[in-house]
Amino acid sequence: MANESDQKYAVDVKKRIEVIQAEMKARDIDLYLGSRIRTMSFIVDAFVPWRSYLVIPTEGLPTVFTFVIDATRLLSETWMDEDHVRGYFGAGGAEQIDAIQYFIDEELGIKNGRIGYETGMSTYTAEGYLTHYEYVRFAEALPDFEFINSHDIVDGASLIKDEGTMNRFREAGRIVDEGQKAARAAVEGGGWKGMTETELAGIAALAMRRAGSVSEWNFAGLNEISSGWRTGLGACTPPTTKEFAAGEALMFDLHGMFKLALGDHSHNYLLAPATERQRWHADNFVACVQFVADSYKVGATPGGLITALGDFAEDRGCSDFILPGVEHGIGLFGDEWRVGASMDVPIPYWTDPDHEYQENEMVILAMQYAAQEDDIGFRYENPIIIKKDGCELTSKYPLAIEEIG
Amino acid sequence: MANMAYLGPEWSEEAKKRLEKELTPENMHHVTSSMSNIYQNTPDGKEKYLFIAFEDGKVSQFEVGEGEPPAAEFKIIAEYDTFAKISRGELGAVRALTSRKLTLRGNMAKAMRLAPRVDRMNKVLATIPTDY
Repeated sequence: MANESDQKYAVDVKKRIEVIQAEMKARDIDLYLGSRIRTMSFIVDAFVPWRSYLVIPTEGLPTVFTFVIDATRLLSETWMDEDHVRGYFGAGGAEQIDAIQYFIDEELGIKNGRIGYETGMSTYTAEGYLTHYEYVRFAEALPDFEFINSHDIVDGASLIKDEGTMNRFREAGRIVDEGQKAARAAVEGGGWKGMTETELAGIAALAMRRAGSVSEWNFAGLNEISSGWRTGLGACTPPTTKEFAAGEALMFDLHGMFKLALGDHSHNYLLAPATERQRWHADNFVACVQFVADSYKVGATPGGLITALGDFAEDRGCSDFILPGVEHGIGLFGDEWRVGASMDVPIPYWTDPDHEYQENEMVILAMQYAAQEDDIGFRYENPIIIKKDGCELTSKYPLAIEEIG
Repeated sequence: MANMAYLGPEWSEEAKKRLEKELTPENMHHVTSSMSNIYQNTPDGKEKYLFIAFEDGKVSQFEVGEGEPPAAEFKIIAEYDTFAKISRGELGAVRALTSRKLTLRGNMAKAMRLAPRVDRMNKVLATIPTDY
């Protein structure tokens, strides 16, 4: 019997499959061949790091094929049974194309039809689209099938989060807040002296692990820490051995993972003594973040938000320092950078500026502020849940830029 | 004991007897599964099979025949010569698989876990005086 904790975080994967299968039927697709990490997370509901393939028929359960060395561990963590967790390896009949071709032809008994597969482009390196080589090999192995790009079926099914998924994100938010508390405790009262960005990243990681995180997850450098001039570099700052110094800004972008939900919160500080100019930048940034957080609600659009923020920042005289964009998509592991639920947008694989947010959709409220001429910048990230009249922040760490000594 | 023709009726009878005697439920870890070895390009030109099934670690079915084998959880397909080399110890099963001399069909993750038990079975078969 599931305990209370399991219930809180339970997700109905079978319902997800039914939604996908219904859409497959509507599009006359006989099989779905998933390869993206986000597709694995959404259906397998377990950590799937190796190159894997998910075969979803229009009826019945899907089958995942993963690198055989990880198949036993995966079987122990997923809801799927042994018959539906397969391995592949470099041997006759056992390599990925052979094994899947045989499975489709002989075990599912489907000899021809339409296969939905996942291709496209992404800013996120680890997206997992089928490679050209894989596509050619599959097309050769399954010559009587037509291949149709269909990743938007899974994207559409995963756009609105269910209660269990939102609860996982809430817990991931609590976990990153524990990391932020530990980070602050480590640097306050002169603790920052002699400390490097890498050391701080480790302190925060330990606190989050103690709180239940299983990974710092980010392909961009795990916990991203920057200080001084590095805070103005933009959106990716894997920590370095640079030591913190008085009079600098600090940025702690912490990542935790709980049941595949990605915790992500960036918090900023000024190490005393702060100049008036630094304080001005800091106050601008906090005001801009608060403005955007107050603007999210059902019916709002990315285009509307960025326009409104631009006007707000212009009024404060800081628009030159705000990087264009206020969010990026978020979902379970592998869904760090959602490309949108539809390929049919003005610029394919980029945010649709006219997308109207729906209730229980999630994005990361993400803002970058970079004033390189002043050697300073800030970052804010927080996964949020869109609500009818606002949004819910999953990290509850107070929005502020304190000056600490 | 005189040599027996590989996959012939006498060899088949002897193989079944030895497997039943030497493979215990304990050393087969009470496995329940089945496999068909499919022999292509045999000396007489016919496609042959060796089918074996285990129930709770005991040999429950053993059959050598021609044509379509009984349905099995795993199929291993190879040239007759490849199987013969494996039986004579001249070619390792893993080497044969990774060089595509053998084609394996079935749940690969499960097959990997069962591989040592198949090796145990092959070692028993290798003890039969055989003419290939």
